[in-house]
Amino acid sequence: MPRQRVIELTLLFLVSLIICSLYALSAHGNRSSIPANILPFLLIILALLAIGHAAIHFLVPTADGILFPIAGLLNGIGYVFIVRLDSGLASNQAIWTAIAMSAFVLTIFCVRNALSLKRHKILFGFIGLSLLLLPLLPYIDSGSGKTKLWVQLGEFSIQPAELAKVLLPIFFASYLIENRELLTLGGKGFSTFTLPEIRHIRPLGIGSLISLLILIVYQDPGFSLIFFFISTVLLWVATDRLIYLGFGTLFYTVGALACFSIFDSLQDKISVWLDPWDNTADAGYQILQSTFALASGGLTGTGPGIGSPQRIPEAETDFIFAVLGEELGLMGATAILISYLLIVGLGYRIAIRAHTAFETLLAAGLTTAIGAQAAIVIAGVLRLSPLTELQIPFMAYGPSSLVSNYIIIGILLRISQSTPPIDPHYSSITNGTRSV
Amino acid sequence: MNRQIAKLTIVFMTIFLILFSQLNLTQLIRANEYKSNPSNTRSISMTFTEPRGLMRTVDGEVIAETISTPGDLKRLRQYPFGNLYAHITGFISFEYGASGLERHYNSHLSGTEIGVRVQNASDLFLNRNRTANLELTLRHDVQLVARAALGTRSGAVVAINPKDGAILALWSNPSYDPNNFSSHDLNRVDNFRDDLLSDNQNPIRSKAYQESYPPGPIFSIITASAGLSSNILAKDRPIYPQVGYYVAPQTRSPITNVGGKTCGGVISEMLEESCNTGFAQMAISLGPTILVEQAEAFGFNSELAIGLPDITESFIHQPEFYEPNLSLLAQSGIGEGGVSATPLQMASVASAIANDGIFFSPRIINKITTNDGEVLKNYQPQILGRPITKSVSEELKAILLKSVERGTGQSVQTEGVKVGAKIGIVRVKNSTATHNWVIAFAPVTNPEVAVAVFVEEGGSEGVYTQGTDAGPIARAVIEASLRLPTSTVNEP
Repeated sequence: MPRQRVIELTLLFLVSLIICSLYALSAHGNRSSIPANILPFLLIILALLAIGHAAIHFLVPTADGILFPIAGLLNGIGYVFIVRLDSGLASNQAIWTAIAMSAFVLTIFCVRNALSLKRHKILFGFIGLSLLLLPLLPYIDSGSGKTKLWVQLGEFSIQPAELAKVLLPIFFASYLIENRELLTLGGKGFSTFTLPEIRHIRPLGIGSLISLLILIVYQDPGFSLIFFFISTVLLWVATDRLIYLGFGTLFYTVGALACFSIFDSLQDKISVWLDPWDNTADAGYQILQSTFALASGGLTGTGPGIGSPQRIPEAETDFIFAVLGEELGLMGATAILISYLLIVGLGYRIAIRAHTAFETLLAAGLTTAIGAQAAIVIAGVLRLSPLTELQIPFMAYGPSSLVSNYIIIGILLRISQSTPPIDPHYSSITNGTRSV
Repeated sequence: MNRQIAKLTIVFMTIFLILFSQLNLTQLIRANEYKSNPSNTRSISMTFTEPRGLMRTVDGEVIAETISTPGDLKRLRQYPFGNLYAHITGFISFEYGASGLERHYNSHLSGTEIGVRVQNASDLFLNRNRTANLELTLRHDVQLVARAALGTRSGAVVAINPKDGAILALWSNPSYDPNNFSSHDLNRVDNFRDDLLSDNQNPIRSKAYQESYPPGPIFSIITASAGLSSNILAKDRPIYPQVGYYVAPQTRSPITNVGGKTCGGVISEMLEESCNTGFAQMAISLGPTILVEQAEAFGFNSELAIGLPDITESFIHQPEFYEPNLSLLAQSGIGEGGVSATPLQMASVASAIANDGIFFSPRIINKITTNDGEVLKNYQPQILGRPITKSVSEELKAILLKSVERGTGQSVQTEGVKVGAKIGIVRVKNSTATHNWVIAFAPVTNPEVAVAVFVEEGGSEGVYTQGTDAGPIARAVIEASLRLPTSTVNEP
């Protein structure tokens, strides 16, 4: 067995131990007994992790061994807290996890080489954009009381934008790799202040425009920010020209400010963020309950199952992090922060070690997506930023964020599986500083 | 590209460091601020489905209980005596959290306290509803008499057993019916709360322990205690001059006696007549340190932890404040000049004087028991201190007994028992109305009850009728406490 797989198996064993103990503690704290009817679902989660591991073992045997266990840990902890909030959600979340795990296995099975993704960049770009704009179609039901971000499917809600989060970085990365030299070298003027020609700024404009479009369509800053991050960061990583970063940010900020001044629903989000105390019973209720939950957690938390997180409305989708902060305390919440930071670090390490520039860029883009999403959600819960409709990766209830983020993990693992570059043209573009 | 990615890693580390800092700020540094925020009802969570322990008085009346109701909402919190115990039990509400004992002993009542939850080893494995019950020191009969005696007048009545600090009655009028807070009908709860908050009499707060008022002449007992303890004063010396006004140092505005009388003489005569000029002089000759120390020994400037949340401290300035403000010191000697006291505080003063100077901490909880009647916690009487010696206490008791038998305290006189009392009338600022106070204790030789009665704006200065207002209330409460046949109270 490759060394990475041994590490993975050991970590997965520890992860299962953590999840099971947490589950037992939480169930016992909540109702002083361990409800037998939910136990099978927990075993399903653990079995799914085992299937994921088996798939990795056969399909990408030398891929990174830490990424998957961390995703599994977050997934499992999220599951325990969702069940703790409402045991009726247990079976659904188990199904979502099964779907997400299938998507994961399918990803590493179908994507035999990450470079092959580049061939379909137009298709991915098109599907990604369509998914983003899907909610605009008049006969799409976004569910009662929900923003356009959601699409109601039967009794469940999904966020199509989550999948676009996976597809669009593929498009961005392909485009940037093809036009990298033009973007880097083009332009007139002094050496440090060379301005790229107008036509080369187009991709930048497209990235920011799409981001602003999302802001307008969804009336929610969450995905808009993520796409802005991905497009701008990738442009900068590909070209190393800060001027893109500066222009992009300027353009996006001006556009976003304009949107905020036009749309009331966006203004409401900002005013609730700035002063939730103004309306504690209504608009500020949810975020303040989250703050109170965190405050009551303290350093070590109330203990799993013993807090009162049901006071936070929609805790299982929007505020699972606050629930965790209440019951596991600052220590537990910090562990979660570290887990996300580890995913980011591992993702970027995979990017740096990738054999081709495209893979580097793609890995960086996808990693940025997960990292930015986690940071935006947690910042919202902590009242560092306005609340968004984003869901915390791997932990929130529902299929959307689980599926897309497991696909990302799949692609990252595929990239980290050291395959020799098959296309000499692309390997020549890598900047040569990679370490293996 | 790798250089940029390395930079990105640093960016994300910074972002997560900021998140971590904010997490620390929320969960540790500002946690208490958030916990005590009024819109945070989290610490007191009420559900309509879970059991909750009951509260009963020492004579067995249930004053708060959770009953089962038919329908979806399985349980209802009830207060069988309506407004009678509102300021003690407090309320528990689905939306507004809890107050009073419901708040202070929430973890016991709801069974989240570990000692309640796990009473034996099998509790670790079985899902039992364990809640604890509170037994109060209050006596239902005395509380009823206190409410009846005060009637519609706004004010407070406090009765304490001087020998162990047990509070027998704690009544404040106006009160409110806490059933309106625990109701299943949340609209009714909202409306009720709005009405309460807009009522300028503020029924939601107890005048007995959450509001303080200038104590006026009854504070002169504390001034006298300080004098008798410090040897500048004895039963028969000095003889204060018979004057109509007294001008304290550092001021030109004189202190006068109520009704413009002249008064003076020895301590007993001065207490008898509520001689402002004499006690003002006494305060000046005692000096600020002795007076303030005496008041603090009786419980001023510290919270009387009776077992209820949100207790107001009685206040007297610090000695350093009085040094350049001797005119205020003179006024403080007669319970004005910024001095303020809760009726609970003044009842405690009466209690300590009655009990040979031994000050038992007043308390409202006797014990916490399980549903099976097993005692989880027994609250023992606690001595807070000895503000005065036994001999000073004897002298004061003799004076206050004489006041009831022959002087202004006659309205407190109770048949068949010797009562000591001091009556006081305080002019209300910018008004012709007066606050009427009485502190009393009985029987003098072996005291079983100490009482403070406060009637807010209960009299008017024109009708200068010493103690007719508050005196009979004190008498009725004493009679009830001693289980004597009760006389009728005449309401004005």
